[in-house]
Amino acid sequence: MATTVIMPKLGLTMTEGTIEKWLKQEGDHVQKGEPLVEIITEKINFQYESPASGILRKILHHEGEVVPVTVPIAIIAEEGEAVEEVEMARPEAPAEIPLPAAVPRESKEPSQRIFASPIARKMAQEKGLDLSSIKGSGPTGRIIKMDVLKATEKGAAPPIQRPSEKLIPLKGIRRIIAKRMTESFQNIPHFYLSLEIDMTSCLALYEQLREEVERRTKLRFTLTDILVKVTASALKDQPIINSRIEGDQIHLIEEINIGVAIALEDGLIVPVIHHADQKSLIEIASTLRGLTQKAKEGKLSLEEVGGGTFTLSNMGMLGIDKFNPIINPPECSILGVGRTVEKPVFHGGEIKVRPMAWFSLSSDHRIVDGATASLFLNHIKKLVENPPLLLL
Amino acid sequence: MDIPLDENLCLKLYEQMLTIRMFEEKAIELFEHNFIRGNVHPCIGQEAVSVGVCFNLHREDYMINTHRGHGNCIAKGADLKWMMAELLGKSTGYCKGKGGSMHIADFEGGNLGANGIVGGGIPIAVGAGISIQNRGTDQVVACFFGDGATNQGTFHESLNLASLWKLPVIFVCENNLYALSTPLKESISTPRISDRAVAYGIPGMNIDGNDVIGVYVKTKEAVERAKAGEGPTLLDCITYRFFGHFTGDPGRGTTYRSKEEMDQWLSRCPINTFRTQLLQEKIMTEEMDQTIEGNVKTSIEEAIRFAKESPSPSPEEATQDLFY
Amino acid sequence: MERDPSLMLIGEDIGRYGGIFGVTKGLLEEFGPHRVRSTPISESAIIGSALGAAMTGIRTVAEIMYVDFTTCAMDQIVNQVAKMRYMSGGKAKIPMVIRTQGGGGRGNAAQHSQSLEALFLHIPGLKVVMPSTPYDARGLLKTAIRDDNPVMFIEHKLLYATKGPVPDGEYLIPFGQSDIKRKGRDVTIAAISYMVMKALKASERLAGEGIEAEVIDLRTLVPLDLETILQSVRKTNRVVVVHEGCRRNGIGAEISSLIQEEGFDFLDAPVERVGSLNVPIPYTESLEKAVIPDEEDIISAVKKVLYRT
Repeated sequence: MATTVIMPKLGLTMTEGTIEKWLKQEGDHVQKGEPLVEIITEKINFQYESPASGILRKILHHEGEVVPVTVPIAIIAEEGEAVEEVEMARPEAPAEIPLPAAVPRESKEPSQRIFASPIARKMAQEKGLDLSSIKGSGPTGRIIKMDVLKATEKGAAPPIQRPSEKLIPLKGIRRIIAKRMTESFQNIPHFYLSLEIDMTSCLALYEQLREEVERRTKLRFTLTDILVKVTASALKDQPIINSRIEGDQIHLIEEINIGVAIALEDGLIVPVIHHADQKSLIEIASTLRGLTQKAKEGKLSLEEVGGGTFTLSNMGMLGIDKFNPIINPPECSILGVGRTVEKPVFHGGEIKVRPMAWFSLSSDHRIVDGATASLFLNHIKKLVENPPLLLL
Repeated sequence: MDIPLDENLCLKLYEQMLTIRMFEEKAIELFEHNFIRGNVHPCIGQEAVSVGVCFNLHREDYMINTHRGHGNCIAKGADLKWMMAELLGKSTGYCKGKGGSMHIADFEGGNLGANGIVGGGIPIAVGAGISIQNRGTDQVVACFFGDGATNQGTFHESLNLASLWKLPVIFVCENNLYALSTPLKESISTPRISDRAVAYGIPGMNIDGNDVIGVYVKTKEAVERAKAGEGPTLLDCITYRFFGHFTGDPGRGTTYRSKEEMDQWLSRCPINTFRTQLLQEKIMTEEMDQTIEGNVKTSIEEAIRFAKESPSPSPEEATQDLFY
Repeated sequence: MERDPSLMLIGEDIGRYGGIFGVTKGLLEEFGPHRVRSTPISESAIIGSALGAAMTGIRTVAEIMYVDFTTCAMDQIVNQVAKMRYMSGGKAKIPMVIRTQGGGGRGNAAQHSQSLEALFLHIPGLKVVMPSTPYDARGLLKTAIRDDNPVMFIEHKLLYATKGPVPDGEYLIPFGQSDIKRKGRDVTIAAISYMVMKALKASERLAGEGIEAEVIDLRTLVPLDLETILQSVRKTNRVVVVHEGCRRNGIGAEISSLIQEEGFDFLDAPVERVGSLNVPIPYTESLEKAVIPDEEDIISAVKKVLYRT
């Protein structure tokens, strides 16, 4: 019977170990109790003994690798025994609820500080007295109970009208958005590129396909669906954009998973269309409609909001012309699309009225420079203005 | 070799030692697979002491032991399922997951608890002895501790008091020659720990701790003395641990113990030598051995299954069981 | 001892000698050497065996002659007595009292004059009781003995000589109930043990200056009766906590924290703490007086919270 050898927990605080040296090679015979591998943890070198006898059929992690405790590192089995591929468990990246545009922070002037004891404050409030009109006789000018009592007797300053303040606690989705937005804005060096794109051909394509798509799916077809396909295609062409920073490396990701920002009553949520490059327009439409519905019902699963490699945020339907979205970490870029407006533009030597929309790309300057991002954005422009290119 | 004991008893002694050995091996495995938190202090190699002593105790006799106490607990009659559940921190464990390996207690079975403080349980055992004396019952107390504990103040205070008041306590030193990495000759000021008994006017016996029959017989004498009101006895049982001090001691304790020494003691493994004896004396056959081994394996696997399937305590339980 | 035939006392010199303050006088003669056990000087063994006996059916009162010596038995108190029930998942029942006494003022110097209740306050699993009058001492001790949990019962060496009315009949004082020893409207003084006496004396002098202090005798620190203090603070808006232990991290630190957490809106001044200076208790009278809080210190603290300095 095959035995899976795991990275053993060899001490109270051990969470991972480094494989220093395999003392046996694949194909070797091992005896139970025989030293099998040298493991280093916290500068201590352990010789770990084989938990079973048999043949060392497969070494799953090699010298120099750091492996968390309980993860399989080797398989011992009899000669000729079938050995299933052991799933090397990688801890799942925690599902994050990704976020969009920043709200500019207002800075407030610090007001003049009034020192008053808690009871003095309470009494002043109850009597409607303005603390700033009371002289404090306590240390550092602290207003104390006695001062408020005296002020009451004297008939002090008229009660101040305080604007009623409503306080909304930062919790739930709002709290998460606040945290993530701060993280992204503080840690990622954003830069912004914008292009105005002629939507004529794209809108034409939309009209051409709409009936068929809606007939086949029994669902609505939207412009956003086309934009997802366009973006997926552009990402195939410029894989550096479909990446993320991991420590001091850029990880180019094979899958193209596009998140689409959806506004909910209490916040933003970005469900992800996985493998968007492999989906047809119909598949994109039905997936996105399904996700949107689930989002509105609050029924999205962790998988459905996780694993995104690029985010698309279409604020056209909210009447916004142009905006600089905040990158959805750990992605490299995010594309914000504004509303389509009929405008007079120069086209083929003449002034024509064309439907134009602003496309804004925010990117992580650690991963890409202006030139690369421009190439990407221009490629998007090319596809939007000439959709048949998508067939290639 | 003349075994002055009933055959059935011998087989039970053997089965119990085997149970402890396999339990500890499984505990180590579970620790390496991260099912057990903190640390495990296996008593592999020392089984004969627990078994030889505890087989002289009735259920209502008291027993106190140490951080290396799984063997003592099992020998005193603990249920493997509830022990395993406690190691895995489940609410079905002996201490509802609150104690863990070093604090397993089974009050109904007379086990007043393992103790994480070296020497911490010795005065408590004295207290149990006082209780027996005041209530006038026929019980005794077995107090297990290691060689290192005999240097703690509590060891000396306790032996003195127990001797003074002639309390029915049997002080059993599981002397495995090392206190973590410190060998006896670097910590004990007399040639042997049993010499210390003289200071308290009680008999001190130096015993081969790996000879389960020997331990059994000497303990019987100590129990008889205690019941006769003659006071405590110090049993210095020489044994050896085949694993490191705890799971976390690199190389199974070979950074401070030589391979030669280990090999020598391995050849005197209490279970192997007893098995050989029983086979030789025809008290046991190969077949019976296989059966016993199979039974032990099954009960341990059952215990593990029970423990794994048991629920974990809920967070609310954290503030319960503080006061009565 | 009469009510419970198994109740046992254990400690040093408690038998023939009757205890150094005479607390156990006559008990050996009446109840015999199994129930009144005088031990060698072995604090760890005293506490440990009290624990072992209590766990196995013998309700026990252990005496540690000076609270300073509880430090010799700290492992048994902190790691064993306080934790045995919890660690065993609620299986162990520990009907045990550790009686001891502390405090300075008699020139007993640093190792025989301490007030260490703050250490025990910090260890979950121990109840902490400190009576200040003969009436309270009797009622609280009875409750402590009947409690099936470990109780640190800390007496004060200067209180042994005090006299006060004690009814003959049976009465118990529950834990977690403080006692307002003096009613007042201007300031709340929360005190414990011998400091209650000093607070009352200070209050008499303050009354002469038109300041009426409310003196609360906390009586038990675990469990603590915070509500009585809060009720008083809502009335007076200012509190002084008085204890003999060092000011640094004394029980006043915990109590003032609780007051500002729960009674913040009612405070007109920060909570004042009066405790011994952060030094060991010195031998000479003048130095000892300088270190241990007296009426003057309490009066100054009261005036500070009244902004009358």
